[in-house]
Amino acid sequence: MTPILTVNDVKLTIDGRPILKGVNLIVNEGEIHAVLGPNGAGKSTLAGLIMGINDLKEPDSGEIIFQDKLVNGLDITERAKLGITLAWQEPARFEGITVEEYLKLSGRNNPELDVVECLELVGLDCSYLNRFVDDTLSGGERKRVELASVLAMRPKLAVLDEPDSGIDFASMEDIANMIKTMRERGTTVLMITHREEIAEIADKATLMCDGKVVQTGDPKEVGQKFKTMCVKCEVRNPELVGGE
Amino acid sequence: MATKNVLDTVAKKFIQIGLPKDLFERNKFNLLVDRNKIIVRYPAPGVRSEVVETPTGVKTKVYVEPGTKLEEPVTLCFGAAETTEVQTTEGEIVVGEGADVKFQVYGAMAEGIKLKHKNKLKVRVEKNARFEFLDLHYNGEDTFVELDTETDAYIGENAYFRSVFKQTRGRAGKVRIVLKAQVDKKGVAVFETKMIGKKDDEIYVEDVIHLNGEESRGISKSRIIAVDETKATFVGETYGNAPRCRGHIDCSEVIRGKDVTVKAVPVVVVNDETAKVTHEAAIGSIDKKQLETLMARGLTEDEAVDVIVQGMLR
Repeated sequence: MTPILTVNDVKLTIDGRPILKGVNLIVNEGEIHAVLGPNGAGKSTLAGLIMGINDLKEPDSGEIIFQDKLVNGLDITERAKLGITLAWQEPARFEGITVEEYLKLSGRNNPELDVVECLELVGLDCSYLNRFVDDTLSGGERKRVELASVLAMRPKLAVLDEPDSGIDFASMEDIANMIKTMRERGTTVLMITHREEIAEIADKATLMCDGKVVQTGDPKEVGQKFKTMCVKCEVRNPELVGGE
Repeated sequence: MATKNVLDTVAKKFIQIGLPKDLFERNKFNLLVDRNKIIVRYPAPGVRSEVVETPTGVKTKVYVEPGTKLEEPVTLCFGAAETTEVQTTEGEIVVGEGADVKFQVYGAMAEGIKLKHKNKLKVRVEKNARFEFLDLHYNGEDTFVELDTETDAYIGENAYFRSVFKQTRGRAGKVRIVLKAQVDKKGVAVFETKMIGKKDDEIYVEDVIHLNGEESRGISKSRIIAVDETKATFVGETYGNAPRCRGHIDCSEVIRGKDVTVKAVPVVVVNDETAKVTHEAAIGSIDKKQLETLMARGLTEDEAVDVIVQGMLR
């Protein structure tokens, strides 16, 4: 197993509040790795830190290593050019840019780009090519277009922040299949979610709570722990997770 | 009418600043004016027109016969291939009852020229007619135009008028655009302005829509990208004067540069208890999430800004 991404003792404080409290994570090349955890666990912050968004170019301490290269301090474009991308939980809307243009921009360095296929893999047909990536798309449609754009780009590592949110239950299988296809095409997937059923498609899962990793291992076991430990945890309780 | 040599010279200069080559190669123009000279004039079916050269420009009267429906747009160009002190254009357009036409009007100011361009236009869209007026401006990067244009429109019962002013290439210069509409029963007026200002450009846009007829509709939309030291003002006024009329003002201006000044002034007035006029205004830098999304796909920040801006100005 070759690690593609190593997060090493990463700590981050925002506005005086510790968000990540020494996160360690290894994602191996070619795997689907789910990060589970309740709201406020620090999952999306970790995703942002890996991509370098929201002015989060580097943690207060610790390292983020992608394919043996330290990415701390690199800007978003530099990370993308290394092969990292992110699909946002709530993707941005673009006035005057069609779905086709958006997919072509995303896949401009992919010589095998097939925009129609990318759409089909997320359950949309070619009629969407001329639609604008703006408010005229529903939340679910926009989400699918975002995932299609990741397929178009064909990155080495795709960080998918809540790929299942805004997607109706009946379509979850489409999304699961799409993530598997992404992996088949050479993309390692780091999937942030708080639904253990979608995490089950992963090869490995990590449970985060209160800015720390609680457990990494088999997705079913991690999912079970998440279900029993976190569901009733309305107020983050360090005792429940064996933390501080 | 000008010789082929004159047309070739004008074509070369206008293509240089971005006018589609195809317009010249396929003789698409129904009217092409360089300063105060008519270079091309070619009739469109169902459209009667009078065009007169004046010492500083042209006067035009256009009458679209009732019921005329054209698939291809009527294509006009008012430009200047060389510097001249002032160019004035005056026009009247009447779109007859039930007609459905689109005018594509190119304003082309060649690279490096300086001039004042004054334009006055009266538009009358008769009952059940549909008229789209796309006013597409092309200036060179070293062109400086003082543009002063006023449009007065009457939109008849159940008629539709859409006016789009678009300048997305070269410098805007010093621009004053005033668009006014009186909208009758069930009529619709849509005003859209899309511009980019650079260096010390000054942009003033004023849209005034009077919704005078029952169930009339009005939309005033502006997208101004202000760069460097540009000063831009958008004033959108909509008056809801009739039962169940609806109006909306939507201005979204983007600033790029610390010396930019942008002002948006939406004015909504309602004189009938069943009328409704709304507005939304946003001025700020490029949306960070949009920028980061495109950068996460490998675009540089400058490339991402360009994609976002061109999308807004589309």
